[in-house]
Amino acid sequence: MSDRRSFPAALAVPALLGLAGMAATAFHFGAARFFANWIVWFLFLLTIGLGCLFIVALEHTVRSHWSVPIRRIPERMSGLAVWVAPLALVALFSLPVLYPWTQPEAAHDAMVAGKLGWLNIPFFSARTAVSLVLWGFCYALLCLGSMKQDASKDPAFTVKARKWAPLVLVIFGFTLTNAAFDWISSLEPLWYSDIFGVYVFAGTFLAGIAGTALGVAYLVKRGRLPGVTFDHVYNLGGFLFAFIVFWSYIAFAQYMLQWYANMPEEVFWYQKRIEGFWLVFVWVMAALHFVIPFLFLVSRRVKGSIRLLAPMAGLILAAHFLDLFWMVFPVLGEGVLPSWPEISFALFFVPAGLLWARRAMERGEDMPVGDPLLEKALAFKL
Amino acid sequence: MSDKPVAVLALFPSAQALMDAVPKVREKNLGTLQAYTPYPVHGLDKALGLKPSPLGIMVFAMGALGATLALLFEWWTSASDYPVRIGGKAFFSWQAFVPVMFEVTVLFAAFTAGLGMITLMNRLPWFGHPVLHTNAIKAITRDGFALAVEAVKGELDVEAATAALEEAGGAEVEVVFPCTEKIPPGPTLQVFKILAVAAGCAVAGITMYFAIKLFPVLPPMADMEEQVKAIPYESSACFEDGMAMRPPVDGTVARGMLPMGPVTEEASGSVLVNPLAATTEVLAEGRERYEALCIACHGPLGNGKMSLSKEYKATPANFHGATVKAYADGRLYYAISKGKNAMAAYAVDLTPEERWAVVHYIRALQRSQDAPEEDLP
Repeated sequence: MSDRRSFPAALAVPALLGLAGMAATAFHFGAARFFANWIVWFLFLLTIGLGCLFIVALEHTVRSHWSVPIRRIPERMSGLAVWVAPLALVALFSLPVLYPWTQPEAAHDAMVAGKLGWLNIPFFSARTAVSLVLWGFCYALLCLGSMKQDASKDPAFTVKARKWAPLVLVIFGFTLTNAAFDWISSLEPLWYSDIFGVYVFAGTFLAGIAGTALGVAYLVKRGRLPGVTFDHVYNLGGFLFAFIVFWSYIAFAQYMLQWYANMPEEVFWYQKRIEGFWLVFVWVMAALHFVIPFLFLVSRRVKGSIRLLAPMAGLILAAHFLDLFWMVFPVLGEGVLPSWPEISFALFFVPAGLLWARRAMERGEDMPVGDPLLEKALAFKL
Repeated sequence: MSDKPVAVLALFPSAQALMDAVPKVREKNLGTLQAYTPYPVHGLDKALGLKPSPLGIMVFAMGALGATLALLFEWWTSASDYPVRIGGKAFFSWQAFVPVMFEVTVLFAAFTAGLGMITLMNRLPWFGHPVLHTNAIKAITRDGFALAVEAVKGELDVEAATAALEEAGGAEVEVVFPCTEKIPPGPTLQVFKILAVAAGCAVAGITMYFAIKLFPVLPPMADMEEQVKAIPYESSACFEDGMAMRPPVDGTVARGMLPMGPVTEEASGSVLVNPLAATTEVLAEGRERYEALCIACHGPLGNGKMSLSKEYKATPANFHGATVKAYADGRLYYAISKGKNAMAAYAVDLTPEERWAVVHYIRALQRSQDAPEEDLP
């Protein structure tokens, strides 16, 4: 196939340009700008991987069978949760640059000083390391195990996965909430929002479903998922539809409560994120994350057709990126607006991510052929 | 009621057998196909060739209508008809309106879905569906899967339908006739209806009675109301005299209640000095107070000639007489504060400032009745 060879070459040019731009960012704008972008991309890739891991664990836990023919896609994409380890390692160097609680002044602020037992570099790094190890464990348990089943055809794995998937869900819940509080919320250690973990979870799950839908579209277009029909895709679309509403509900709930109470110790977070340029940004995000996908996905036809669903998934994935960007970037201060550094990061990470996904899509069989449920799952009708 | 058959019905042992049979019967095109199953069977709608339900569009439209109406209503109540500033927010605070919009959207959409399903889709209320009186109904509610070929406009080829169903693997084929069992005629049903409505009203009424009776006497937040504190004029075991109220410390002077001090009437003219300047505002205030309190006896001109005076058998002071004219401001102030002859003290009714304002006004009255040359225009 010609596109297989030309694909990396076409992407190498922007990736190299992006790499040069990233280096220039660090020199021209300083480390803070570099790390802010770095953290956004790290979290973006991580949340796609974790979202996919969550889907795999969820499908095993609830013993669904509609998802078996497409389960290999989230299984492959879950690898991102492991592959971001080097990104996380670099991101740890951002702690003294971006995170106010690493500064010596933090000890003089009573509010921040009280949190220093949790927010300190050794413990933070240890939590990150433990999370990465746990994600690797979950990935090996559910995803690599499933790929091994392709050859062995051993139904014992399906039983084992069903038994252990709930544990993966619990691990996912704790580590994702922790990652949200650590990497995003502690950028402004004075701010607090109880719902923040749920907010990030909503975006993460959406990223996972959108990534899965795009992977399904990629394989279906190449004819590699025979037997995946309207009925299977419809469930994926239903998830996407339900969770854009869930995300909007949580996002609005968090905003409205803080807007209403108008407490100086929490409202400053929103104030710097809804003024001037960021107000336009928020409305664009609301349109991409909720209004436009809602109006399309409400239709049964869009939910069930992978050709119509894939653009929506791409839109939502982009909106999820904007969401993370909106949470992290404004900490750089008032008047710091997106410019060429952000474009160069995208120029590097988008091709890199696509290349990674393209390679990941070759891991194992395209469907879990060893799963005893596959035959029944292929006959699934709504 | 005709005895024409409405359907031919056959039982299948499993959902899969039913799914396999549907296309075989459907291609013969004998009538409307209807399936009766103990649980929803995946893919059956499509196999039967049912049209997509219009309910989705109705729910969407009603939901959008609900959101719009809620927004309009909130704008009208909060920003247009009776705007009240709440928490320093704008009258039209869309953030605060969203939860209500959301709830009303759900309400409209849910009612449309529920009522639409019952009335439009299931055509309820519908007494006595013909299938309820077949032999198959027991199996359908347990583990049987029935497929029926239904008559189109009253026409049904029973033999062809029976053959088609048997060929497709159906067992226990039976012909379904319209419901012959009628709703019990005569007054019985009416009595039941009336009794049911009466019972419903009674339950609602009794519930409402107790709700109204009980709710007002259940204080929602008693902590605020029942604080541990002394209330004026209540008794209290805390103090020896058994009263909650404490007398003020000796020598306490309330704000604006500074007493005149030890001044005699004779000395008042020289000791007390009017602290106010005779500005327009002060004169206006003095006039307002004068016309409220003094005018009844001293009259609008201050000459003491008022209709009441005769009945009262007293002679209120004439401010234009030589005696009062000779009084200094302080002496007038003393008279207002302490009273004079039959006149009561007005210290309780007038603050010191008001008394001095009245004094200024009395001076204005005196001048108005005895204006010097240079006052004339």
